[in-house]
Amino acid sequence: MINDFHYLKPASLKEALAMYAQYDDCKVICGGQSLLIVMRQGMVAPEYLLDIKHVKELSYIKFDDKDGLRIGATTTHREIEKSDVIAKKYPVLVAMEEKLASIQTRNWGTIGGNLAHADPAGDPGPVLIALNAEIKFGSSSGEKTVPLDEFFVDYFETKMEHGDLVLEVHVPAPEPKFGCAYQKFNLLDSDMGIVAAAASVTLNADGTCKDARVVLGNAGPVPLRVTKAEDLLKGKKLDDALFAEAGQIASEEAQPVADIHASEEHRRHVLGVLTKRMLKKAFEQAQKA
Amino acid sequence: MSHAKYSVINTHVHNIDGVAKVTGRATYTFDVKLPGMLYGKILRSPHPHAKIINIDTTRAMELPGVKIVVTGKDTLGIKQGIWRRYEELCDEQVLPLEKVRYIGEPVAAVAAVTEEIAEAALDLIDVEWEVLPAVYEPLEAIKKEAPTIHEGVERNVNVTRHIEWGDVDEAFEDADYIREDWFKCSGQAHMCMETRAAVSSFTPEGKLTVWASTQSAYYTQGLLAGVLGLREGDVRVLAPYVGGGFGGKFELDAAMFCSAVMSMKLFKPVKVVFSREEDFIASKRRTPMFYYVRTGIKKDGTFCARESRMFSNGGAYTGMGATALYLSGFFHSFPYKWRGYRYDGYRVYTNTLPSTSMRGFGAPQAMFCSEQQIDWICADLGLDPFEVRRKNGHTEGYEVPGQAFIASCGLEQCINEIEKWVKSKGKLPANRGIGISSCGFMSGGIFNWFDSPYSFSSAVVTINVDGTVELHVGCQDIGQGSNTTMAIIAAETLGVKVEDIRVHSGDTAHCPADLGAWGSRQTLMAGNAVKMACEDAKKQLLEFAYAEMGINIVYDLDIKDRWVHIVARPERGLPYGDLVKKALRAKDGQRIMGRGYYTPHRKGMISPAYSYMMQAVDAEVDPETGKIKIHEVMTAHDCGQPINQLGLVGQLEGAASMALGYAYLEDMPFEDGKMMNPNLVDYKVIKAPEMPEAGIIEIDTYEPEGPYGAKEAGEGLTNPTAAALGNAIYNAMGIQMKELPITPERVLKALREKKEAQK
Repeated sequence: MINDFHYLKPASLKEALAMYAQYDDCKVICGGQSLLIVMRQGMVAPEYLLDIKHVKELSYIKFDDKDGLRIGATTTHREIEKSDVIAKKYPVLVAMEEKLASIQTRNWGTIGGNLAHADPAGDPGPVLIALNAEIKFGSSSGEKTVPLDEFFVDYFETKMEHGDLVLEVHVPAPEPKFGCAYQKFNLLDSDMGIVAAAASVTLNADGTCKDARVVLGNAGPVPLRVTKAEDLLKGKKLDDALFAEAGQIASEEAQPVADIHASEEHRRHVLGVLTKRMLKKAFEQAQKA
Repeated sequence: MSHAKYSVINTHVHNIDGVAKVTGRATYTFDVKLPGMLYGKILRSPHPHAKIINIDTTRAMELPGVKIVVTGKDTLGIKQGIWRRYEELCDEQVLPLEKVRYIGEPVAAVAAVTEEIAEAALDLIDVEWEVLPAVYEPLEAIKKEAPTIHEGVERNVNVTRHIEWGDVDEAFEDADYIREDWFKCSGQAHMCMETRAAVSSFTPEGKLTVWASTQSAYYTQGLLAGVLGLREGDVRVLAPYVGGGFGGKFELDAAMFCSAVMSMKLFKPVKVVFSREEDFIASKRRTPMFYYVRTGIKKDGTFCARESRMFSNGGAYTGMGATALYLSGFFHSFPYKWRGYRYDGYRVYTNTLPSTSMRGFGAPQAMFCSEQQIDWICADLGLDPFEVRRKNGHTEGYEVPGQAFIASCGLEQCINEIEKWVKSKGKLPANRGIGISSCGFMSGGIFNWFDSPYSFSSAVVTINVDGTVELHVGCQDIGQGSNTTMAIIAAETLGVKVEDIRVHSGDTAHCPADLGAWGSRQTLMAGNAVKMACEDAKKQLLEFAYAEMGINIVYDLDIKDRWVHIVARPERGLPYGDLVKKALRAKDGQRIMGRGYYTPHRKGMISPAYSYMMQAVDAEVDPETGKIKIHEVMTAHDCGQPINQLGLVGQLEGAASMALGYAYLEDMPFEDGKMMNPNLVDYKVIKAPEMPEAGIIEIDTYEPEGPYGAKEAGEGLTNPTAAALGNAIYNAMGIQMKELPITPERVLKALREKKEAQK
């Protein structure tokens, strides 16, 4: 049962940050799609809830050819999924959103809330890291921007401290020959990923690999970058054998935990398969770009 | 017999309670709120097996707002069960006095002014336990050295069932080929939208009224009266709307019992609603089964004999498990003719959640084993699976020796239609296959373990002066649409429109007794009672019509679409409304009333009639991850004359979703007796976006025992699916799946084993 709490409803970002700084036992709610579950289970029982749903300044999607994409923290998953510019410039984000839980959840849940919740099984984390995104957060005493792959610290823990709100996600403008793909493995398509893999590939004009990223979902305490696999690919002419080898590395580097949905062995195996497939898919996109 | 001339039956009729439901006006037990009502919560056992040494409720009683705390000592301590004809199978005290036998078993109950206070009070009940050794799997529990779960029950064997006909050993000797396999079938949660819930109100007059989420108001009435020491007539059970049952809601549950016990002590209404977690860990479940199957067949595909042994995980108590044990063994023979058939079922107690009936009643497990093994035998011998099924399938007029008579059977047409459908798909891409599975199911059971002195189904129909009709039935609408089906049968029989009928159900004080919604019984049994009641009323009306019209007695009269007429001269007649007004006057102002009932006689051991079907599942396997994708489900289905067209489609789709879930998603893993996924994140059910197309081909047959030729349609549709998926995977990948659910890991393991074997 959800405990009783005081409800705070700031009208502006300034007011929100001031309130958050003022109350110690306070949790931030926006879409509530992560928080309400743990509150219902009694795992979190804050005295204050700070509802930033009405802070309109944080709800936006902006794109600029040079600057790239900027998404405000309270932008809903559904808004990202339905954005024309994102569909055109970052189709992997739309594909990811289309499989993120149900439409009802996407209508309420926000990108900032998802990242702040820092569930290693979350979908946006690995994809955004593969897209080389950074995240801006801040409190009443200042703002900070960090690469997203440095943002996650541990299970459900980020670099943010009490009083910090997620403000914005920034994705750089895609390079000319770039591809990015994401897939999660689950029993039902819209379910949480048992494991997941995101991969991005940037090619040089001569077709060799300029840069690559491999990020695993639910394969450890945080979205897991497999730099060893990335290093294997950089500078090379990519082919199926390399993708398979990168998959093998991902499978070995992963730190998945067994539960009723899959054994550790199966998780490692599938992570290898998904890494191989996503790299190939990203590579083919980059070739066509 | 022509049956295409109906004006209401098998037409497009919307659920008569659909508008009330979608506008939120339908009052489920969950919605009931009475003045002064208290809220109850149940303390549950954290141990799989433990003696209750002492329960101290002092601290809980001191919490402000708490009105009562009860334990087993505050009850009559009666051991109850739905098999109440058999004392040894009445083994469950809802609040046990001496010991608990599974994690989640009720230990005490609290009623308080709010749900929050009641919940908080649970933490203040101090229970002293003596933890006992526990056992969780039937093949362990049946061993000599296993702990005793029920005193005096040797080797924890709760019930056994032997079925045999023909000379089995001789028939095996005739076989050219014999195959044997072991299978493991999992449990499954009923997953009703409405969790178990009850509101009980006991008044100083000594009368108890209970709103309950039940599949049978009559069973609930009888069971409650039994454990509370009341007369049945002093207990009124109301169940106007029920949010699903699926076989899990016709026994006494802790919501009903605890709310009633506390209300009787306080003379105040008490409401108990299970949380989703409670519904998972402490209701009941589909019975997990281990099956050994041995089948003998001739080279030409003629079936000779089958012998099976089955060990089921009964969990802590009997429940409906004894029936599931019989029906699993019986339907394991379906839908084929065996010269010799032998089944030995053992239901074994374990320290886990009790098992019971669930949609299909033991048949989905039996078919998973049987229908896969038949395909493997066909492959072993190079036979055509369609042809073999046609060759050995039931036909009209067949008698299952000593068990059942088959009066109508469309199996062969079902096989022909599915064969056509499969062939029309042509060659499939790699890693994709179509599997088939055929089966049949009962249209209500001829079982009376409840020892009801009443007819199995009854109906009373009353015609008001304006021609509107009050139909009182005991059959229970649990969302499957039985009220609509009964309204259709009544409207057809009386010759009026569906909107002329008001159906009264789910109230033991005003509706006749009826065994309720289980075993696919209502369309045939309650349908027959409704038809008989309406024919009775109609006959009375037509007597007045004869007098009024003054026609030659050789003419037949009938009513159709509210027009009373001569059958041979349909234009000659009078409006139904006018006739009713006159008839009522002639009856000294008494309303026209008809009564009907149905109890099966001379219909064998199991059921008066059987549905038949063949299903095909089109599925694809990812060979690298083991993930299964279901493309389509197609079912050819003989339910006799369909009555409620939309209801039938709803049943088919609902059954497909439930049975596919059973086949590849839903599982109830336990660790040391604790269910590991009692929530809807970790317990996987198919959601709307993932639901594949599920089509139906209706096969036209006429069942002489059914109302207008109807048979069951809904429960049996859960039987074929797991096997059909297994066969699809076999056809796609060449692997044999012997354990449910068919998970990606099991698929990959089977693929690895196949690779090893090929080396």
